[in-house]
Amino acid sequence: MRPALQLTALALTGAASTLAFATQYLTVEQAQHVLFPEATAFKDTGLRLSTEQMREVEKLSGLPARSVNWRVYAAYRGDAALGFVVLDDVIGKFELISYAVALNPDASVRQIEILAYRESHGFEIRSPAWRRQFAGKTAGAGGLEIGEGIANISGATLSCTHVTDGVRRIAAIAQVALKK
Amino acid sequence: MMRRAQPWLGTMVEITIADAFDEAKLLSCFDTAYAEIAAVHRLMSFHDPASDVSRINRAAPGGPIEVHAHTYEVIRCALEIGCASGGAFDVSCAPRLVKWGYLPAPAGDRPAHIPGRPVLALEPGGCIRKTSAAWIDLGGIAKGYAVDLAIDALQQSGVRSACVNAGGDLRVLGDVAYPVAIRHPRRPLTAAAQLRLRAGALATSGTYFSHKHIDDVECSALIDGVDGRAVTGTSSASVFAASCMLADALTKVVMANADPRHPALRRFGASAVVYE
Repeated sequence: MRPALQLTALALTGAASTLAFATQYLTVEQAQHVLFPEATAFKDTGLRLSTEQMREVEKLSGLPARSVNWRVYAAYRGDAALGFVVLDDVIGKFELISYAVALNPDASVRQIEILAYRESHGFEIRSPAWRRQFAGKTAGAGGLEIGEGIANISGATLSCTHVTDGVRRIAAIAQVALKK
Repeated sequence: MMRRAQPWLGTMVEITIADAFDEAKLLSCFDTAYAEIAAVHRLMSFHDPASDVSRINRAAPGGPIEVHAHTYEVIRCALEIGCASGGAFDVSCAPRLVKWGYLPAPAGDRPAHIPGRPVLALEPGGCIRKTSAAWIDLGGIAKGYAVDLAIDALQQSGVRSACVNAGGDLRVLGDVAYPVAIRHPRRPLTAAAQLRLRAGALATSGTYFSHKHIDDVECSALIDGVDGRAVTGTSSASVFAASCMLADALTKVVMANADPRHPALRRFGASAVVYE
């Protein structure tokens, strides 16, 4: 036996605990910076798809276009356009996920970041109040301190299909409506 | 402390770094770790026709198949655990997973999964050889390997304390304990246990997110290679091991045998807990 494992405490809770698994990883501003570290400005360029564009998105992605309005930021370094950040939320059977997709000017996907994750069925994820409660919890300074409220969940794999589909839809939207 | 999460390997991969680096250093540590995860995703995806796994699945039995050293290492470990588990851990169950809709069908005729029949052999020079027509899926072990690579990369970048969690298969770097919650198998949105983990890996398998009925037969994404049947029931298995690859794969052995004291655990220096 390797003595490598050091479990400091194995506390079994008798009844199922009621904690809701939720994490805010990045705020929108942090995500912009992580996705385009070289950018000097982000311009809010909300996107409104036409009926024709929605039809094209559906054809390209094989998925319902789902929404007319999309939250889009254009990233710039000085006057040079670097690409786009598109924000979206997906709702799975158990989970709510906010995520951001960074796209290059040619509409290819550059990077994907999860902004927030929440389990169980509440729809607080869309509300600013829910987002606010996590503000400042992600980028703490100091030594090697692990926040007590930070759950690392070990369990059967929860599929990320909704995010994967969402990214495919956003890639199609970029192709149809954002590509330079 | 900073946490990030990205979708890879069909799930969400979360990385937490506790070191108080400046922002540029932190970003580069995350980038390095996610690059390792992305590499495993590209090499071992069942879905991507360009992956090593897809090339193996398309290949006819006989000739040597060149694969990346990562793929070779995962297959080597999978075969070893397959052997130590008497065939319970079997990467060649993929045709059954395709039949039940857990994996997309690759091109070509679906080969039969015949329990006990070896389908892969390791060749000199880092090649793989198929010994019979088969589809393999590394979904039961590759996530753990990706976590291990990410942890190694973080360590090499000078990180002293981190946790990498690929959809429930996680590993902690360093001696600072991280709080971990194990899902309750019958109420998976709650915790069956909460513990603190340091310098080691913990993986959990259960069928609570994957079980379904097809033609009145209960199936799940976990298959016992010994008889090719889906592992059903309401329990989950969590395995502690030095590496996440071992922890990940051994959960399937514990699940298939419903035995948290399976001899394969001792052989790999691992231990297990089963929650009902």
